[in-house]
Amino acid sequence: MNFPINFIQAFSKAILAVVMVLQPASVRSNMTVVIGFEGSANKIGVGIIRDGEVLSNPRRTYITPPGQGFLPGETAKHHRSVILTVLQEALDEAGLKAEDIDCVAYTKGPGMGAPLVTVAIVARTVAQLWGKPLLGVNHCIGHIEMGRLITNAQNPTVLYVSGGNTQVIAYSERRYRIFGETIDIAVGNCLDRFARVIKISNDPSPGYNIEQMAKKGTKYIELPYTVKGMDVSFSGILSYIEDAAHKMLSTSQCTPEDLCFSLQETVFAMLVEITERAMAHCGSQEVLIVGGVGCNLRLQEMMGVMCKERGARLFATDESFCIDNGAMIAQAGWEMFCSGHVTELSDSWITQRYRTDEVEVTWRD
Amino acid sequence: MLFFENKGTFNQHMTKMPLSNRSSTKYVNMAACVSENDSDKKLEFFLKVPFPSEREAAIALQSLSPDPEPRKGGITKNLDVTGHTLSVRWTADEARILRVSVSSFLDHLSLVMETLDAFGPPVSQ
Repeated sequence: MNFPINFIQAFSKAILAVVMVLQPASVRSNMTVVIGFEGSANKIGVGIIRDGEVLSNPRRTYITPPGQGFLPGETAKHHRSVILTVLQEALDEAGLKAEDIDCVAYTKGPGMGAPLVTVAIVARTVAQLWGKPLLGVNHCIGHIEMGRLITNAQNPTVLYVSGGNTQVIAYSERRYRIFGETIDIAVGNCLDRFARVIKISNDPSPGYNIEQMAKKGTKYIELPYTVKGMDVSFSGILSYIEDAAHKMLSTSQCTPEDLCFSLQETVFAMLVEITERAMAHCGSQEVLIVGGVGCNLRLQEMMGVMCKERGARLFATDESFCIDNGAMIAQAGWEMFCSGHVTELSDSWITQRYRTDEVEVTWRD
Repeated sequence: MLFFENKGTFNQHMTKMPLSNRSSTKYVNMAACVSENDSDKKLEFFLKVPFPSEREAAIALQSLSPDPEPRKGGITKNLDVTGHTLSVRWTADEARILRVSVSSFLDHLSLVMETLDAFGPPVSQ
């Protein structure tokens, strides 16, 4: 039997139309959906991004009693106990199923070993269960890419400040280059450890509580100011203020609020100085603050003063993106995946040390 | 459950160990062998974990093998899959190092199994 050619063509088009309608949304509209897993410190988050849109970003924080920090084993145990729940929440809030995901991204490093392994194991397992490619992401780059996405800063000098990292970064020729950094501990680590000394609550975070107390401080205590060229050092200030806290609080020379205030003023001024130095080197007119310490409004205020003097613009994000979260890993993963990166399972080992400039940034010119 | 005997004899214990929290808990049979090899003075520990399918055993292997042991020396760990059984072999210089590694591995194994339970079965390849 010979059907007329027009009928065959029309019939094929009809079949194609039906088939296209039945495809998941991402295939139909050529969108890329990436899920990101983050758990390098005491926050465990899973986030989903579709072409620059944050579809979900649930997170849990492991909070220790006042005076105590978080240890790797206990942190990993916390993450193990909640990660599958958070993963399901991320899918439910985004209204997506496994087949809608195009890529599974996770934090390869840097960070604490045990929590990183916990999260990587789940990421590897779901990537295999769902038959999706895996992508190991640098945590610092996650912060940078999220900051860029949310603020739309074009080419900023980035100040990345958190409990684990303190770096001044600028993009140049396919790398996020570190212009200045801490030579010992991170600024957030200095603040967190000071909070332990004066037994401030860790809920929601020690840094937040220091910030609130600092607002009530009135007396400025002179603390050692340690900027070394492009870099900074915080361990000296920490030992000094720990010592000063014991002496001055027992003799009531000052209040804990005064110490919080003085510490913030000193360390933030140091950060503003090294950021300004990097801006001068790069001729940059934009500053982007990322990382947990970036939530601090006093730091933003001080940086804003410097930027205004230089005629530069300041960009910062709110706590849902400043503080470690899954969506930032998904966003960096999205950029990497769309420019062709993939991580083989045998190469998906985590690493506690992972320099920001180790990654080739192929998604930018 | 599982315990050590380091008198140079080969002890084999069959144990049933629940590694999943879900109501349809599958009890995993683990055969653990511990021996002290006198000539090497090393402790050895073997673990065999059966999975419901070859595919899931392979997934577990790929999820659990990439990360290196946190401790640099004094312990080695080898993972392998035959059919639908994952087998793990440790050699260690000291019992406490062995205990830490095995304990840590069992936590991770448990996590893999919970993930397989919650987000499986695997898609057809």
